[in-house]
Amino acid sequence: MKIKGSVVRKASILVLGLVLAFFAGTSFYQSRRLKEPVVMGPGVSRVLSLSRYFPKIKGSINDVHVYFLEGKEPGGTVCVLGGTHPEEPSARLAAWLLVENAVVEKGRLIVILSANRSATTVTRLGGAYPPDYTIETPWGNQTFRMGDRWSNPLDQWPDPEVYMHYPTRQELAYVDIRNLNRTWPGRPNGTLTEKTCYAMTRLFIQEKVDIVIDLHEAELQYPVISTIVAHPKGEELAAMAAMVISGTEGFNIGMEYSPEALRGLSHREIGDNTPAISLLFESPEPFLDATRGRTDRALLLEGKDDFIVKAGKHGLLFEKIDETGWPIDKRVGRHCSTLAVVLELWSELYPERAVIVEKIPRYAELLEKGTGWFFTDPSHASSDKIRYE
Amino acid sequence: MQLVVTIIYYLFTAYIAGLMIWNLLKSKKWQEEVLYIIVLIPFLLRLLRLK
Amino acid sequence: MSMATSAQIILAVMVAVYLIAKIFKASTELSMFTAALAGSLAGGQGIPARHIVEGAFTYLDIILIFISATLFMNLLKESGGVAYVVRSILIRFHRNKIILFLLITLLLLIPGALTGAGSVTVLITGGMIAVILQYMGLSRPRTAAIIFILAGLSAAAPPVSLWAMLTAAGVNMPYVGFFLPLLVPCLVLALLSLFILGWRSKPVELDKALNELPKAPHRMNALRMGIPFLVFLFLVLAGRIWPHSLPILGLPLIFLISAVSAFLLSPVKLNILEISRSTVHQLLPLIGTLTCVGILVQIMTLTGVRGLIAITTVTLPLTAVILTLCIVLPVSEAVLMWGAAPVLGVPLVLLFNTIGLNPIVALAGMSIIWPLGDALPPTAIIGRLTTDTVGMKESYSRMLKHCLIPALIIMAAGTLMVVFSKKLGFLTLI
Repeated sequence: MKIKGSVVRKASILVLGLVLAFFAGTSFYQSRRLKEPVVMGPGVSRVLSLSRYFPKIKGSINDVHVYFLEGKEPGGTVCVLGGTHPEEPSARLAAWLLVENAVVEKGRLIVILSANRSATTVTRLGGAYPPDYTIETPWGNQTFRMGDRWSNPLDQWPDPEVYMHYPTRQELAYVDIRNLNRTWPGRPNGTLTEKTCYAMTRLFIQEKVDIVIDLHEAELQYPVISTIVAHPKGEELAAMAAMVISGTEGFNIGMEYSPEALRGLSHREIGDNTPAISLLFESPEPFLDATRGRTDRALLLEGKDDFIVKAGKHGLLFEKIDETGWPIDKRVGRHCSTLAVVLELWSELYPERAVIVEKIPRYAELLEKGTGWFFTDPSHASSDKIRYE
Repeated sequence: MQLVVTIIYYLFTAYIAGLMIWNLLKSKKWQEEVLYIIVLIPFLLRLLRLK
Repeated sequence: MSMATSAQIILAVMVAVYLIAKIFKASTELSMFTAALAGSLAGGQGIPARHIVEGAFTYLDIILIFISATLFMNLLKESGGVAYVVRSILIRFHRNKIILFLLITLLLLIPGALTGAGSVTVLITGGMIAVILQYMGLSRPRTAAIIFILAGLSAAAPPVSLWAMLTAAGVNMPYVGFFLPLLVPCLVLALLSLFILGWRSKPVELDKALNELPKAPHRMNALRMGIPFLVFLFLVLAGRIWPHSLPILGLPLIFLISAVSAFLLSPVKLNILEISRSTVHQLLPLIGTLTCVGILVQIMTLTGVRGLIAITTVTLPLTAVILTLCIVLPVSEAVLMWGAAPVLGVPLVLLFNTIGLNPIVALAGMSIIWPLGDALPPTAIIGRLTTDTVGMKESYSRMLKHCLIPALIIMAAGTLMVVFSKKLGFLTLI
């Protein structure tokens, strides 16, 4: 029997398409399911699921681990959020170092590594992000999911044509309904992203959290960078921290007021809707700049880019950059030191609500030893000490 | 209720993917066939919940 | 090799391969796809399946909007609803050109304004309006120019202006305060363009026109035609009035529900499967272009070409940046379509913000210039769609010639909005 030429042609095209789809699909499948081990350090006393505070998210991808680091002495409570925007890796890595290294003497430290876990499982359309990145450690490599700014559409679909923030009804870009830092304080009957915020808001209230610190990174062409954005309740603390850091830690950081007009952000809504002070830290991340050149893991981790340097020479940036770039250790170090100083100042100002934490790696240490030095080898840890993000 | 909406989107995606395959089979132009395949891939991967 | 040299070589390879593909009579969509593959190979990335497919996903949601909106309109067309509306408008307003032009402006602006897509305007009302304009003695190229210019403005008009929304999201700016800065220029420029291009039109010869126009089925009436639109309007408004009590429907589902109501109310029996199949076939060039543009942008980002274009544009002297907006924006649109917003819109808005301009008004000004690029090669997607819809047999350049004067006015208006954005800042407050 003679097979028609058009059938052969169609079949060939179909096979080529399916091969392309297969390889891409495999990559998407693997990166969504990449296991990220966390070796809980001596400071971690218990781990809860976020759904404990809001059962409606139980079993969802955003029912994430909540790590408690509790001191022997009672004091205050500080909560650190990493992974609000997983495409900003120093935020997640800094939180990771806390869970693996920090020891609390007084008060409590609550840490969430993947505030929007759904967003860790997808990469930006058109952004050409690598699916993951690897941090070198003395015992080998540890690989992390790259992630995006927005929740994965596989977990939340469709988007509205315009997103109206709850409860203020402010209109925001439609995609931002999947942006965890535009959906605070959350909505119990809302989307997955809104429910995640709602669960965390309940956590802050139930656990009587004094300060919530949301870790981020920003492009150099964005005005809010290398700074602490503070809710009015935390202005004094943030201003003092900025001054102390600039004098003692080896880098400069600014302080900005949380604008009242822009809704849904952690630094505004958590402060407005819970008793906690809300602060947001921004480190520089050249990888996010629209003028960046080749998009790859090296740019993500080293932060070196000729085009962004050129933009800087033309006065288009709000943070300096030179040929040495913005390596990940520097960015993680900024977050760790800023956090440590905020905790120290808070504890001095409010001794009865003090949160005294030891063994937070500082900026200088991170520059000297590298981020990987502070990770623990999961293959040598007992299984009850390991959690997967 | 939102889950119902999401399911309708998957059904619609499947419907469109089906129509594309139908058109692909009927097409007589190779360039059109290639384009149908390229356009079809995101629909298929979304249906398989891979992306 | 420096980053700039490497990106320049890759860009040169992509352009060369694109041109070669065109010489070998490949379609624009496949030429872009081939250029993307060549760029990836030149950049040492091989054939990166993940990036190609991720790029192809970029406009999936917009493609679903296009398909559902066109399906809705095709059902209305097949049910005789569109013919009914055109005939009614002609019978009632054929003596009064000004009212007729006002109505035409609204009919052309609304579909694109609600969906953010000029193509929806062309497909939904463009064909029928073209018939009216031709009965008014306007040539087909002139008619096509009117439909194209107004379709472009409809896409930029609020509430949904994708260039503004995508750029705003890229610079972490809420999509707030854009309504008047977009509505005022779009409305004024649409009326101006229609009056300029249609001024020489003659009164409609009603009997002749009605004879030639497709007839609406007897049982078609204002209710049967109006209800699907009311359903659409209700669902769009309901999402805004009760955003936190209703599930999120999204535009594709809103169009689908409206399409179902059009199907149920149709006085004639409609073959939904056949209409759906032909809708997908009709839209293939459009959705194919969107998919291939997504792939191209992803590869350009991967290889640094996107950064090269962005940095070259924003580091020109400021006067040059502003003066060349009217060229750079349409050209970027012609190549990247909405991809132009994240590639160029984001750095430009950040630049304007840095020098103290009002970013909302400036972005609105840019948003009205961008759609002009939809008539230009390589994609020329809305231009091609318009000439097809109007049934223009003349050369494509004849339409472009008629577009020239309105396009220059739009470019001037958009540029002036950028320059005087600070003074026009009051528009954002209302």
